Amino acid sequence: MKEVRELFKNQQFILVLVLAAMIAFFTFKNPIFFTNDVFANIVSDWAPVVLMAVGQTYVIISGGIDLSVGSTVGLSGIAAAFAMRAMTQHSVNQDLTLAVGTLIALAVGIAIGLVNAFLINKARIVPFVATLATLGAARGLCIVTTGGGPVGEGPQKGFKYSVAWLGPFNTPALMVVVIVIVAGLFMHKAKFGRYNYAIGSNTFAARGAGINVKRHLTKVYVLSGALSGLAGMYFYIRLGSGSPSSGASGELMAIAAVVIGGTSLAGGTGRMSGTVIGALILTTVTSGLIIIGVAPNWKDVVVAVLIAGAVFTQGLRTWTKD
Amino acid sequence: MISSKKSRALIALAAAGALVAGISATSARAADKITIAFVMGAESDPFFQAMKVGAEAEAKAEGVTLIWQGDPSQYSPATQIPIADQVLAQKPSGLVLIPTDPVALQNTVTKANAAKIPVVNVDTHVNDLSKVVSFITGDNADGGAKAADAMAKAIGYKKGGSYQVAVGLTSATATTNVARLDGFSKAVAKKYPGIKIVDKAYSQSQPAVANTNVNNWLTKYPKLNGIFAIDGTNADGASAAIQAKGLSGKVALVGYDAYAKNVALIKSGVITALVAQDPAAEAKLAIKTLVEFIKTGKTATAKNVVIPNFVISKSTSAADVAKYTYVQK
Repeated sequence: MKEVRELFKNQQFILVLVLAAMIAFFTFKNPIFFTNDVFANIVSDWAPVVLMAVGQTYVIISGGIDLSVGSTVGLSGIAAAFAMRAMTQHSVNQDLTLAVGTLIALAVGIAIGLVNAFLINKARIVPFVATLATLGAARGLCIVTTGGGPVGEGPQKGFKYSVAWLGPFNTPALMVVVIVIVAGLFMHKAKFGRYNYAIGSNTFAARGAGINVKRHLTKVYVLSGALSGLAGMYFYIRLGSGSPSSGASGELMAIAAVVIGGTSLAGGTGRMSGTVIGALILTTVTSGLIIIGVAPNWKDVVVAVLIAGAVFTQGLRTWTKD
Repeated sequence: MISSKKSRALIALAAAGALVAGISATSARAADKITIAFVMGAESDPFFQAMKVGAEAEAKAEGVTLIWQGDPSQYSPATQIPIADQVLAQKPSGLVLIPTDPVALQNTVTKANAAKIPVVNVDTHVNDLSKVVSFITGDNADGGAKAADAMAKAIGYKKGGSYQVAVGLTSATATTNVARLDGFSKAVAKKYPGIKIVDKAYSQSQPAVANTNVNNWLTKYPKLNGIFAIDGTNADGASAAIQAKGLSGKVALVGYDAYAKNVALIKSGVITALVAQDPAAEAKLAIKTLVEFIKTGKTATAKNVVIPNFVISKSTSAADVAKYTYVQK
C-alpha cells in the first residue's frame, strides 16, 4: 500500500496516467483516434514543441526563462527559407539544400541565444525582460524581412521527409527523439546537468563552489536558441515554406510543457522525462479535440486546467513532505 | 494620450485660425501639397502589402504624399485606434481607413470629420456610412459563393450525390471570415445540397496550425472531397498537408487570396482554384477619390463601390493570372 502511495507522488507516473486517460477518452469518443495516422499527426506536432521545451527545461531549472523561443522558430525558419530558395533557383541538390537550411536555422538560433546570454550576463537584464526583448525583435524581423508572406519555392523533397515511416515517426521526428534523449542524458548523468541544478537551487552557493555561472548560463541560452532554430527548420519541412507567423506563442506552449512536466518555475528541480510527456499531452489534446469534433478553442481551456492540475500535484508533494 | 489630446487641440486651433482668416480649410490644403493617410489593418498581411503597392503607385501618379500606417501584425481595434489618432494628429488632407471594427472606429471618422479631413473606407466599413465619402470593397459574401461554385466544379458535383467538405478559418470573429463562410454556406445550401460541410477549424493566422487541422481531417474523414481554405494562411497549411499525404488532385482545395506562392500551386495541381480580390485596385480608387474630393469638393466615385472577385484556376489565361496575383515586395 505504501508503494502505491509513493507511486502517486511521482509526477511522471501521474503524467502517464493522464495521457493514458486522454487517449482512452478520445478513442471512446471516436475510435479513429487510436490509429497510426492520428499518432503520426500527434508526433509531427510534438517534435517542434518538445525541441523548444527541452531547451526551456534547462533554462527554467537554471532559474531563468526564455520567452524568445517562439520568435526564434519563426526567424530561423525564414532565414533558412531564403537560403534554400536561392539554392533551389540555382538547382542545387535537394538534400544538400535541406542540410544547409538546417545549419542556417541552427546558426540563427545560436545567434539569438548568444544575444540573450549577452543581455543577461553582461547587460545584467533579468532573463524575463532580456528574452522578452528578443521575442519582440525576432518577430519584428520576421515581418520586416518577408513583408508578411510565407517564403516558399524551396526543395519539394521536404514533404517526403514529413511522411511517417517508422510507426508514427517521420525522419525529422526520429532525429528529434535522438536529440531529446541526448539532452536528457546530459541533464541527469553529466556534470553539465548537475551544474544546472546547482545554479538553479542557489546561484551564490554554486559560484562559491567554483562553478563559472555566467559561462554556464551562456551555454544554456545558446542551447535553448539552437533547439528552437531546429524547430524552425522542422516547421519548414512540414510546410514547404518559412512563415513569419510560425512559432507564434510557441514560448507559452514550451513553458506549459515544462510546467505540466513537473519542473518548478522557481528553478532547481525538474526532470526531462516530465517535459517530454508534458509536450505529448499538449499535442494530444490538439489532435484529440479535432478528431472528436470539439471546437478547437476549447484547447486553451483544457491546457489551462492541465497546468493548474500539474502545479497543484507539485504542491501536494511538498505538503506531504511537511 | 496627452500628446494626442494636445495635437487634437492644435488641429482645432488650426481649423479655427483658418476660419478666422476666411479661408476654408479644404481649399487651403488643396493649394499646399496633399497628404493622404492610409490606416490599414495588419501590415504583415500580404493582402495589405498588395494594397500598399497600389496605394504607392496611385499616390505617385497623383503627386500626393502617402502616410501608410497600421499595426505590424495584429488586426485589432485596440491597436488600430491609437495609430489612427496619431495619424490624424499629423493633419493629413484625407484619410483612407480600413476599420478593424465597425463600431470602435466610428469615433475616428467623427474626429476626422471634425478636423475637416474627408474619410474613405476600404475593404471594411464603419457602421454609419453617411459620414464617409465612399466605401470601396471586395465582396466577401460573393467570394464565398464563387468558392462554392469552384468547389462544386472541382469535386464533379452531380445532383443526388453526396460530398464532404471542410472549411479552414482563421478565427471565429474576423468579419471577412464570417462573410466568406456565410456566402459559401448559403450557395452550398441553395445550389449544391449534396455538399455537406462536415467540419470547421481555426488557424489563429498560423500555417502550422492550419496544417495540423487538415492533417487530422484527412484522417478523420477518409472520404473527404474538398477543403475550402478561407484565406492565404489556411491555403498554406492545407496545401502542405495535401502534398505530404500525396492527395494532390484527389482532395479539391479551393483557396482565397492570390498570394504568389499559392498561385504557383495551382499550376502544380495542389490548389484547384483561388478566389482573388483586387486590393491594389481598391487602394488606387480610394486615393483617386479622396484627391478628387479634396481638390473639387465632390467625387465621381459612387458612395458604395464593389470591386468584383476573380476566380483563378488552371484554365485562367496567363495575362489574368498575372493581373490578379498579389504583388509582393
